[in-house]
Amino acid sequence: MDQTKTKGYKKIKQWLKANGRKPFKFQEDAWQNYLNGYSGLVNAPTGFGKTFSLFLAIAIEALNASELSNKKAKDRLQLIWITPLRSLAKDIARAMRETLTELELDWHVGVRNGDTSQAEKVQQKKSMPEILLITPESLHLLLAQKGSSTLFKNLKCIVADEWHELLGSKRGVLVELAISRIKGLQKLEKNQFLRVWGISATIGNIEEALDVLEPDETAKRIIIKADLEKKIIIKSILPDDIETLPWAGHLGLKLAYKLLPIIEKSKTTLIFINTRGQSEMWYQHLLNIEPELAGRIAIHHGSIDFELRNWIEDALHTGQLKAVIATSSLDLGVDFKPVDTVVQVGSPKGVARFLQRAGRSGHSPHEVSKIYFLPTHALELVEAAAIKEAAKTNNIESREPFIMVFDTLVQYLVTLAIGDGFDDKIVYEEIKNTHAFKLILPEEWSWVMQFITSGGDSLGAYNEFKKVIKDEDGLWKVKSRQLAMRHRLHIGTIVSDAMLKVKFLSGGYIGMVEEYFVTRLKAGDNFRLAGRVLEFVHVKDMTVIVRVSKQKNAISPSWNGGRLPLSSNLGSVLRKKYNEALDKTHNDEELDSVYPLFLLQEKRSHVPRNDELLIELINNKEGFHLFAYPFEGRLVHEVLAALVAYRLSKLLPISFSIAMNDYGFELLSETEIPMDESIAYEVFSPKNLTEDITLSINSTEMARRKFRDIACISGLVFQGYPGKYVANKHLQSSAGLFFNVFSDYDKHNLLLRQAYDEVFYQQLEEPRLAAALERIQNSEVIITHPQSFTPLSFPIKVDSLRENMSSEELEQRIARMKAESEKFK
Amino acid sequence: MTITSHGEELILDKERALYLPQHQLLAISDLHLGKSAHFRSAGVQVPSTIAQNDLQRLGLLIERYKPKTLLINGDMFHHGLNTDIDEFAAWKKQFRELTFLLVKGNHDRLANADYASMQIEIHEPSFCLGPFCFIHDAPKCTEEELYPISGHIHPGVTVVGKAKQRLKFPCFFFGKEYAVLPAFSTFTGLYNIYPKINEQIFAVTPNKVVEV
Repeated sequence: MDQTKTKGYKKIKQWLKANGRKPFKFQEDAWQNYLNGYSGLVNAPTGFGKTFSLFLAIAIEALNASELSNKKAKDRLQLIWITPLRSLAKDIARAMRETLTELELDWHVGVRNGDTSQAEKVQQKKSMPEILLITPESLHLLLAQKGSSTLFKNLKCIVADEWHELLGSKRGVLVELAISRIKGLQKLEKNQFLRVWGISATIGNIEEALDVLEPDETAKRIIIKADLEKKIIIKSILPDDIETLPWAGHLGLKLAYKLLPIIEKSKTTLIFINTRGQSEMWYQHLLNIEPELAGRIAIHHGSIDFELRNWIEDALHTGQLKAVIATSSLDLGVDFKPVDTVVQVGSPKGVARFLQRAGRSGHSPHEVSKIYFLPTHALELVEAAAIKEAAKTNNIESREPFIMVFDTLVQYLVTLAIGDGFDDKIVYEEIKNTHAFKLILPEEWSWVMQFITSGGDSLGAYNEFKKVIKDEDGLWKVKSRQLAMRHRLHIGTIVSDAMLKVKFLSGGYIGMVEEYFVTRLKAGDNFRLAGRVLEFVHVKDMTVIVRVSKQKNAISPSWNGGRLPLSSNLGSVLRKKYNEALDKTHNDEELDSVYPLFLLQEKRSHVPRNDELLIELINNKEGFHLFAYPFEGRLVHEVLAALVAYRLSKLLPISFSIAMNDYGFELLSETEIPMDESIAYEVFSPKNLTEDITLSINSTEMARRKFRDIACISGLVFQGYPGKYVANKHLQSSAGLFFNVFSDYDKHNLLLRQAYDEVFYQQLEEPRLAAALERIQNSEVIITHPQSFTPLSFPIKVDSLRENMSSEELEQRIARMKAESEKFK
Repeated sequence: MTITSHGEELILDKERALYLPQHQLLAISDLHLGKSAHFRSAGVQVPSTIAQNDLQRLGLLIERYKPKTLLINGDMFHHGLNTDIDEFAAWKKQFRELTFLLVKGNHDRLANADYASMQIEIHEPSFCLGPFCFIHDAPKCTEEELYPISGHIHPGVTVVGKAKQRLKFPCFFFGKEYAVLPAFSTFTGLYNIYPKINEQIFAVTPNKVVEV
């Protein structure tokens, strides 16, 4: 069907024309393909109306239909629009509602996520809107409701917005599973008109992104790429003197004064900080150095109360704010027109993320995005140069989709069992058709079913395990209301520490802090949240009660966000930049600025070239340090360090403490570490790789750390929920304890295996490690013995996250540690 | 490992037990039988073999020391009656000569008749023997003349060495005021304790007990 002849298309064109607009070609392509029954992926730069490329397609289809929404209340749902962020939903809903009104299309737009009120959710259950904007977690919560399986009868389309953002996480798997269920339900009703579309920024594996979203190779599928270029200006904020920048990661506050003129001359500036805790400190600091900004700047992050965030977002739209300090909470497609400048503080660690953030400014088509990079330590300037180059050559990372995540599958099946129940044969077929579980074996499926129905135990005699049971109608269900409630509270795959809401004594919520942080507070202590200094009063009913403090400065809570690892793309560009810096074969002002530091590195040790592996051996009162710099990113270094430590520990009994960053890693030992050129080639050898990695992973804590999330997602450990924490002392346990008991009593537990697999496949990417080792074999090993820490080694030394690896007898080790500590007494 | 405390010989066993040869008494604390079954009945997939394994370890200890009395220093059963406890009752039948003493802890909430039916002698709040007073939670001890031996906190110790090395173990604690036994059950977490001067800590490693 040629859409240009349809009345819907004509109406849309008219409406656009009346507003002085014209559709882009990719938008018309999307509309046409949607009408032709295609599923697909739209890939366009930010600011060119990606939302309208799909939303209007569905509107055209609706306008073409002769009669409108003459359906029963329950059968109304036409479009599910999945967004990764709550703040996105509100904005898109507003745009959609305005459009629908102007098109005189009598459709309702509903939003459903963690911020939606209970009353509204009940209303939605009675009468679904035609368009539902929802997060992956809320979609699963919907599936966990009784009667939900009848909601999707007339659903025409599911759109996964910002799909690149969801793709590389277990939230992407939540989306895959929900789609598989909705498709399955429609199949039961003999409906086959569901189309699945994604909207994605440019990523390295765009074809795979479509495969994950619509894995059916026989379906009509298409990728629509906009032939449009977004202009981006990237500028680094350079110190006048490199000496003023610290050697290791810090806040970057020393350069804050250089931001003031940038904020002043811009309409509105978004300042991205990598962590919530640091954003609080930045907010305070900017006000300290420029009191004039009071009332004209705001702070926005995920732990700030919904109402407050709403206010800030509204103020951003209307241009009332001069600057907003934000974390990833404002990363994605929100369209704040007045924003014309973006500042990134500290390394963004990836090209895609950097470009995404840059795209927050100059959001309209053909406007230029402007982003400033503010380094927090000296070596980040080299990263800045690398990012600029990678952005120029469009060297953008892939987002690797998760597969075989049994924790998410276990959670999903219990979710279905809480809702209308499920038939295991049907659901098995459904999940086998997802990208995430297409490789699942029948025995693995049986294990998962056994895990949720009999507690992973085949010994029937003493089994009192109760969770999912077979109902009279043959469907698997959860009958216990208490179990259902507990499960609902922890649906989702984002694991954080238990959070407590923060509330004023006089009423009004401010935000959330981690329980761990609160346990360290005494009455009268001050801390900072949402840019205000608060005095801790007490904790009551799982809520932190505070009053306004008169103090100007206070500690900031730290929220345990994950540390971002450097992407592999950036790693290789970074190695190149190290080459160029000392030779001065470049045009990067960043590298000029950091040049004195390179001279110092060269003087104390050596600046590694592309075809060299630098190893620094430093001996001081802490012990014997070995630093190596493969420049492969934190995740790979974590595995590589364990591998090298393991191989060294085979040479003699020795114990290591291990630290790493994006540039390299450190092995620290109490005894001298054997190292020369031939040993270096030996321990960095790709020979016996798989076997040695397995053994080295087993002897460190990596899998145990991965298991922390797995235990929460699969429901073994219940973390509570802000403000809804139900204390149940008899059921308290920890992920670490489960890791121990499974290792001791249930070695074949698939969740345990998943923890090791996640280290092996997600973190280490064996091919990447093998390639790195091959490269090192062909490199020259340079071993230096610096008298003190070097610009390269210092940032690793101060890193606090450490691993242990030992080949000594445990008792001997304790005896030695004891003897050592007595020496210091 | 054998130590002397208040004039008596005490054997600290790596299976998280204390033996008093003079009294032929074997003491353990925080057995938490029924914890795994309790979790399982609430829909949490704890391996069901944990309780059997704990009982097996206890059986081996009884065979090795051949005590007249087995003292459980509180938190013998985790919650209510469940299948783990049925298994315990069956297991117990092989030790007809052995007296089972329970010093009640905060988790021990079965009816007295239930303990009686399993022939478990109840002591509340403590059981005194020679210079020692066995009690679940040491601060609650009112026997001022005696040295309390307690449990309850599931003590653990972190050994810190040069070059940022750290190791964590369950432990026995012998302080000036009181002693604490490690939790016997392997399905328990650890509460870190920090020794002060004149306090002794014995770490339980997989192969033996060592003073740290």
